[in-house]
Amino acid sequence: MSELDKTRREMHAVLQKPGEHPDPSLRLSRRTFIHKSCLFGAASLAETFGWWPIMNTMEVAQAAEEPFSFAWISDTHLYPKSVNTRFVDKITRAAKEVQAMNPPADFLIFGGDIAQLGRADELELGNEILKEVKIKKVLIPGEHDWYFDMGKKWTDLYGQPNWTFDHKGVRFIGLDTVTHGPDYWTERHFTPEQRMDAMADLDGSIAGPWAGVGRDQLDWLQKTLSSWDKSKPVIIFSHNPLYEYYPPWNFWVRDWREVNDVLKPYANVTNIHGHVHQVLYNEIGKMRSIGMLATSWPWPYAPEGVPKLTKPMIRVDPGDIYDGVGWSKLTMNDKSKIDTDYVMWGRKEVFVQSPADSSLYSQEILQPRMADKIGPY
Amino acid sequence: MKNSIACLFALSSAIVMIGMAALLSGPASAHKTPVTPDQLKAYDESFMEAVKKGDLLFHGDGETAKAMGVNLSGTGMACAMCHPFAADTHPHEYPKFQAQVGKFSTLRDMVNWCIEKPMQGEAIDPESEAMKDLEAYITWSNTGSVLAPGKY
Repeated sequence: MSELDKTRREMHAVLQKPGEHPDPSLRLSRRTFIHKSCLFGAASLAETFGWWPIMNTMEVAQAAEEPFSFAWISDTHLYPKSVNTRFVDKITRAAKEVQAMNPPADFLIFGGDIAQLGRADELELGNEILKEVKIKKVLIPGEHDWYFDMGKKWTDLYGQPNWTFDHKGVRFIGLDTVTHGPDYWTERHFTPEQRMDAMADLDGSIAGPWAGVGRDQLDWLQKTLSSWDKSKPVIIFSHNPLYEYYPPWNFWVRDWREVNDVLKPYANVTNIHGHVHQVLYNEIGKMRSIGMLATSWPWPYAPEGVPKLTKPMIRVDPGDIYDGVGWSKLTMNDKSKIDTDYVMWGRKEVFVQSPADSSLYSQEILQPRMADKIGPY
Repeated sequence: MKNSIACLFALSSAIVMIGMAALLSGPASAHKTPVTPDQLKAYDESFMEAVKKGDLLFHGDGETAKAMGVNLSGTGMACAMCHPFAADTHPHEYPKFQAQVGKFSTLRDMVNWCIEKPMQGEAIDPESEAMKDLEAYITWSNTGSVLAPGKY
């Protein structure tokens, strides 16, 4: 058994005790129920795909005071316009579409990685484009925004990386999962550019397990939630998923145990996250997690650890820069549920319809890169 | 004195070079004698050197690209940005009909398609050292994947 398997088994042993699942007052939609029963019924791949209902939205039961919607954009990875304009075009399109929502969204959450290499001009470019969106905006940072100047420009523009507000019966929390990385640069005498470059490689090993919430912020989270009724809805925005999906790409937070300890008493928690650039759905303990698309480019599913509850997104065409990417419209409808509507540009079907439509259909065994382990560091 | 040291150095370098060449290319009868541990080590080092250069090219290392005279990307992007750990490259599924290329293709055809289209770089000679290094890295990274030639 690999180290990864051992840790993941530990995660399930810790978080998924027999009989424990999200609070039954959360109504599981029929759609969710169908795909759960398929998967736990050990269906073959073909049978599983055959059973997936055709839909582009995912429903999450909630109980808000009145209907409303909000929009998510993240992972725009802007370079300066002189390097390329494709990512500029895509964040601009997303911003215009969010602003054109009718009825309008109550607010926009930007889920991190506005910049590619954390430069001030990249962050300012994104800030200018997001001015197109006139509704309320809240932002959390991604690692690409932070590790060139250690968050100076980002905090100049947007202030604290973590925050909370209440809206129509829901407590929203913006969590910072990127600024607590271990110091990999001082001993190696890295320049800010080298520090950022090491962080910018998703599959690099130098920056290590950088994704985490941190003790201070866990205490803050606990304090923030202590005044909230344990059965009322909480929605937590974070850049990284708050569970362990694939640590080598930091598709996790390393302190998921502590996060779970804090959230355990709350029956109605939904985590909405970026970083993975792909459709994801998972339930860990009592928390549901939903992964969002990037506007920049899609990432392949990790070779191991894709949550069994995830209905995979369709295999994309690398020749179309608008394929496999987009933004999300999250509507808390009058039935007190959230519809997660993935706006994937140029696609009618977001989810796989047949095995050949899925990148998971092609099995692969991968190993970590080697050149960054033997460099002059 | 200085000259004789230089001569000695040149001579010993030449001997080492000849020795390395013999080790790597082998004498004409190499395949008729049992392989030695030194030979195995040299063959492996030769492969891993290609993997290392391929890894650096794949991750957009500017110095390596410059040293090898290639321009793989005109957008600031690198192969690994869509293919961490060379995921979704599927070297074990080639050759196959590749929809993007529009014809029956090898991995090298697809590498050049990616360089020219999404990355807007300059296609490289399919027989070049850079292409062999990229192929070495991609296949090494997928070590253990099961051959499935022709798969969509």
